[in-house]
Amino acid sequence: MTAYILRRLWQMLPTLLGVVVLVFLLFNWVGGDPAYILAGKMSNPEQIANIRKQLGVDEPFWVQLWIFIKQIVSMDFGASWSTGETVSHVLATRLGPSLTVLVPLTILETLLSIGLALGVAYVRGSLTDRMVMIACTVGMSISILVYIIVFQYVLAYQWGLFPVQGWGDSFSENLFHYALLPILIALAVGIAPSLRLFRTFFLDEINQDYVRTARAKGLSEKRILWVHVLRNAAIPIVTHVMSNLPALLIGAFLIERFFSIPGIGREVILAVERSDFPVIKAITIYVAVATMFFNLLTDLMYKALDPRVQLK
Amino acid sequence: MLPRLFCMALLLVCAWPAPTLAADADKVLHAVFVAAETGFDPAITRDLYSGRVNRSIFETLYTYDYLARPAKVVPLTAEALPEISDGGKTYTIRLKQGITFYPDPAFGGKRRELSMADYVYSFQRLFDPRLASPHSWLFAGKVVGFDEAAARAKQSGRFDYDEPIAGFELLDRYTLRIHLKQPDFNLSMILAHEPTSAVAREVIEKYRDGMGQAQSNPVGTGPYHLGEWVRGSRIVLDASPEYRDRKWDFAAGADPEDQAIVAAMQGKRIPQVGRIDVRVMLEDQSRWLAFVGKQVDLVELQGPLAPKALLNGKLRPEFVAQGVQLSRIVDPEISYVYWNMQNPVIGGLSKEKIALRRAIAMAYNVQEEIALVWNGEAIPLEYPIPPGIVGHDPGYRSSVRHDPRLANALLDKFGYKKGADGYRILPDGKPLTITYSARADSNGKLQAEIWKKVYDSLGIRMKDNLMPFPDMLKAERQCELMSRNAPWIADYPDGDNFMQLFYGPNTHQNNNGCSQIPEYDRRYAASQKLPDGPERNRLYREMARILEVYAPIRVGYARYRNMLAQPWVIGFKKHPILQEEWLYIDLAKEKK
Repeated sequence: MTAYILRRLWQMLPTLLGVVVLVFLLFNWVGGDPAYILAGKMSNPEQIANIRKQLGVDEPFWVQLWIFIKQIVSMDFGASWSTGETVSHVLATRLGPSLTVLVPLTILETLLSIGLALGVAYVRGSLTDRMVMIACTVGMSISILVYIIVFQYVLAYQWGLFPVQGWGDSFSENLFHYALLPILIALAVGIAPSLRLFRTFFLDEINQDYVRTARAKGLSEKRILWVHVLRNAAIPIVTHVMSNLPALLIGAFLIERFFSIPGIGREVILAVERSDFPVIKAITIYVAVATMFFNLLTDLMYKALDPRVQLK
Repeated sequence: MLPRLFCMALLLVCAWPAPTLAADADKVLHAVFVAAETGFDPAITRDLYSGRVNRSIFETLYTYDYLARPAKVVPLTAEALPEISDGGKTYTIRLKQGITFYPDPAFGGKRRELSMADYVYSFQRLFDPRLASPHSWLFAGKVVGFDEAAARAKQSGRFDYDEPIAGFELLDRYTLRIHLKQPDFNLSMILAHEPTSAVAREVIEKYRDGMGQAQSNPVGTGPYHLGEWVRGSRIVLDASPEYRDRKWDFAAGADPEDQAIVAAMQGKRIPQVGRIDVRVMLEDQSRWLAFVGKQVDLVELQGPLAPKALLNGKLRPEFVAQGVQLSRIVDPEISYVYWNMQNPVIGGLSKEKIALRRAIAMAYNVQEEIALVWNGEAIPLEYPIPPGIVGHDPGYRSSVRHDPRLANALLDKFGYKKGADGYRILPDGKPLTITYSARADSNGKLQAEIWKKVYDSLGIRMKDNLMPFPDMLKAERQCELMSRNAPWIADYPDGDNFMQLFYGPNTHQNNNGCSQIPEYDRRYAASQKLPDGPERNRLYREMARILEVYAPIRVGYARYRNMLAQPWVIGFKKHPILQEEWLYIDLAKEKK
């Protein structure tokens, strides 16, 4: 196991290097020259040259790439070009609000999707199953923007069930007051595809021989579903859930923007609008590393869930 | 004897001015920013919203009268308007005594009084190469010895703040004499501009980062100090108890609403609002629902929000019935289209090139762009200086009118023949294609579509070029764009700030069309040496005609700015230059 983990970590290096080069090239190619924005509207070529020097973007590309690599190794991405705030402070202070919304959302979405998917798999082919599948298809066809606009208008403004937007100082106030509607919206959007996917996993298992054997042995349908089917469908479910976890770290762009949640997703949008390269590249690298880490964790969980799996 | 003494005492008590109340901590103004702030160092911040906070914390020598239109400079920390001598080359300014900074550990527990040396230090910071301030243009080429000090700093990499600058002569702790290289009658406006606010050297040296910026610890002499700050989300400003006794004292202007504002506010202390709680809301719907849900007291109606509250430029009846207040002004800005005068296809001063640009200018329907792109929330302009700006001429009428028939006839006359495909070619037979650049966003796309229609009406082939904003700015500064709609909002409310946009030597700076028209440049150089008055206005009118004749640009429109205030907000009036109106308002707690 240790050797496997070490080998996987070693294999991450070339992947990470590829991501670094790609990010660097993309942002230098399409990101534009920030000096022209930072110089203000009454600037001359000399001032622009001075700002380029201050930012280090007047250096040759290979020097800039080397600085970028050193920043990744030292985990010090410097300061935002727009605000002067250190990137590490940006990440540290914006991650909390994003996780306040996304951690409960992921837990709720996973549990509800599993429960509902098992339920509809149990009554597969019935009117209920068909109605749920139609509702899921309709739900998936509607843009998240529509959910946000309608829910914010109806539930928050017209019915006054939730605050229209905002974010407070305490964790409990944020979780139980401000984050409720964003979680509800994200749940409404996210549950349909998960439910459909998990239902497919369960249906694949329900038709297996071991289920028939279990029934023949007189096990209750509940026990078959909740113990045997669920356990055997766990691997694809875990893969799906784990592959979604890195998304937690970049927040929910639109939800954070509409509900004025000072999270990572909103910060990414602001950074892109301001051509704030240090913030963008730090978040991109950090999500890439997180994705690789969660992939490794997923593989390790396979082994825990199914002892037959061999890690090579 | 005793009754006489009693009467005298009573008379004295009655004659004594009634004490005016300071800011009430229970009065909390809930405001909204439509974009996130960046930080609070006046030398470096350049966005509107950070500036609004800065102007509440820091103070400039001068500011603007809250009600006067066009905007009028009045003293803030200065005793009076500057004494201008030597034909506009020397300014003598006296500071009010006893103004103090908000207490901060940087001052070692002592009361720190503002002095003129603080202003000189703040001006010097704008030239510090490490800071790379976007506001150095405010003093560039103006003050004796200042550019030379900046050049030395650039060479050494460090600005020597202790080296005296000949142009900033400190006569005493409270008096500054500024010596200019050439006459400049706009310096008072420059000294009312937020980047020239006073900062304390001790504070900057204590809190600055590696680039010399102190964005997170603003300490000024202004009416508010920074209470709470969640970056990009929430800014709380608390009234400073130490703020000096400054009275609301503005005269009503021509606007009938001014009388009510004066009646409600005259003689009150500035500020009245104890706390300003600003939330950053990036989305239109969030801001709108927060306002109609009475969670915020002031909101700006941008873009698609305007039709929700306005009907034909007036507040909808349902909002009038609720007592909601509208303050609507034409922004001190112009939006104009330029054609690159250095471009071989469209530029130059030959007759056929002038004819080509004039024809396009005549084919452009400003009203259509206002209706389609800006929801009707703009007015067409006749003059390059917009309303509300010193030098604006309300009686001026442009000679350029929307007339596609005449525009086509002009092109026919100058040999721009149509080919078999229906598109025109140049008189020398070469192809004629205009590249129109715009920002790669929804408004940019709409503008490109409108211009495609304009060029199609002339039989001219147009190619659109939608670009990221930084790339567009870069190309523009290098005179590489062929044509674009460029907006310009006033930095200071004087016509010079607009007329300099088309001055030849400003090419590669903000003369976006890179025009170099000798007749225009000569007049602009002469206008710079004149104060506001009939002689300068005459030159401006001639320059406006020159722009119409040579057509390096076509003046377009200025947008409206609409602010809504809840019924309990007292004395709010949108100012064209000032952004910190909350200093001058009050709240009726009982109505809230």
